[in-house]
Amino acid sequence: MSLVKSHFVWPVLSLCALALAPTLVQVPYFLHLGILALIWVIVAQGQNLVQGFTGYVSIAAAGFMGVGAYASTLLTTKLGWSVWASMVCAPLLAGVLAVVVGYPSLRVKGHYFAIVTMAYNLVIFIVLINFSSLTGGESGITGVPKPENFSVFGMAVNFETRIAYYYLTLICAAFATAVCGLVLHSRVGRVLLAIRQNEPLVDASGVFAWRYKMFAFVLSAALCGVAGALYAHFIGFLNPEPFGVDQSLNAILAVILGGRGTFASKIVGAFLVVALPEFLRVAETYRLIVYGLLLVLTTIFMPRGIVPLLASAWYLFTSLFKKR
Amino acid sequence: MIEFLQQVFNGLAIGAVYTLIAIGLTIVFGILGIAHFAHGVVAMSGGYVTFFLIEKLGVPFFVAMMLAMLVGAILGLLVERFAYRPVQNAAHINAFIIALGLTMMIDGLNLLAFGPDQMVIRTPFQSVFNLGGLVVTELRVYVMVTTAVLIVAMSFFVSRTKTGRAIRAVAQNRSAAILMGVNVNAVALVVFGLSSALGVAGGALVGAMLALAPGLGESLVIKGFAVLILGGLGSVPGAIVGGLILGVSEALAAGYLSSAYKDVIAFLVMIVVLLFRPEGLLGKK
Repeated sequence: MSLVKSHFVWPVLSLCALALAPTLVQVPYFLHLGILALIWVIVAQGQNLVQGFTGYVSIAAAGFMGVGAYASTLLTTKLGWSVWASMVCAPLLAGVLAVVVGYPSLRVKGHYFAIVTMAYNLVIFIVLINFSSLTGGESGITGVPKPENFSVFGMAVNFETRIAYYYLTLICAAFATAVCGLVLHSRVGRVLLAIRQNEPLVDASGVFAWRYKMFAFVLSAALCGVAGALYAHFIGFLNPEPFGVDQSLNAILAVILGGRGTFASKIVGAFLVVALPEFLRVAETYRLIVYGLLLVLTTIFMPRGIVPLLASAWYLFTSLFKKR
Repeated sequence: MIEFLQQVFNGLAIGAVYTLIAIGLTIVFGILGIAHFAHGVVAMSGGYVTFFLIEKLGVPFFVAMMLAMLVGAILGLLVERFAYRPVQNAAHINAFIIALGLTMMIDGLNLLAFGPDQMVIRTPFQSVFNLGGLVVTELRVYVMVTTAVLIVAMSFFVSRTKTGRAIRAVAQNRSAAILMGVNVNAVALVVFGLSSALGVAGGALVGAMLALAPGLGESLVIKGFAVLILGGLGSVPGAIVGGLILGVSEALAAGYLSSAYKDVIAFLVMIVVLLFRPEGLLGKK
């Protein structure tokens, strides 16, 4: 019972809280940030599969987001597909690309892997900027359509409204989180954790480590593809800028800032990377400096991330009361 | 043929800069195991300092570069002491995150201090020689010679001095070096000072050859890492060979294929090398 409780109570509670949030906070700006943060939850889950579970730091999350975003947009604008169909197709394309590029790069480890994936991200970025007959180059593509409306139980859902899009991203984020949770608690997840701890031992035990690494890399790319597609159809305007290496670094941050674990820490991490830069907008010219300083200080003084820190603080707090 | 030689010459000049950046990265990586991502922005700060010294104080180019290297070395010492040392025993990813934070900070400070405009460092080396059709600019020759001199000076320091011996000892076996009474923290400071000074020289040369602009630091450090992969992480000869290969392949790609995609081709070269020699061209197995 307690196992079931610990696994399901918090996710269900926070899902309810996130579902109710728009009725409490009706400021459009916050809803906008909420949608972005939920998109980043998907990215963080994908990044966590590779970085957190497997221990391979990939710097290509934003590149795969870009592939998803442009694939979905081009399928709708150039080929006239329905947005729903192209949104399903986008992660598949990102996944196929991940198979192709993952094959050479998963042979190397550690810093090598990080740098090679960073090169992939750069290549994707350069192609997005220079292949302007297809991608519109730096000026980008305007008028990316919103998903088609449909009606559920006689109630029309209009995705032009932020609120409908919020629930769409919430469903996707919840789904991504559930998938990652299931993977973690399956045999595959245990192999991935074993690879992080001791890859030669995994190989020596007769398990094809590279297959599992490939699985994690491809699933992660597909999740980033979903996030990219959601982003493109939400913002309605697409240019290469949000898919550069610095955004991939943000994905790494989302995984690190929250701390270890699949659930609360990733949500907190994603909300932080969306909220912090917005919050620091007040500081304008000092924004980069303050953000960088915060990063350095957080890593030095809170190396485990924010959620474990809060959890142990909460534990201390409650144990204080239990004694009395 | 002349066209080809021209591209190779231009490639060697830019490759020399990549080599300077990559040597700084490779000694930090080989000796301390840190992927020093902030190296590029440190190099750029040095480039800006050189620009400032020349334009505002009228210091001659090489003197300005030396002074900037000194400033860069001090910046490197500060970075090691206050940012990397607190996490030296934590997971490597922590040092990498610190490096990202530093990149943003130093980038922001550069922007604040020197503004967002492109700046070209003015040098007195403006003459152009024509060797049977091959256009040789004096500046590019100076870039290559400066790089060679700095590399020789660094090799001399590492192979002939007592401090250099301590550095090599830490690179070979950190624990044994500690047992023999080597002050590892001091070695880390020296390595960062040396690495940053070389990086700053690279920044100043690239500022003279191309231009200084925000964001160039990141692109330089990414090239530097690509060089490391090509040559082998932690190997100085690898960084020299890798830097020149990257520079030349970029120039050839720009000349014969497409200048927009030159970086793509450079990275493809890196990935192909990785496929066949995962440890890099001159890396150890």
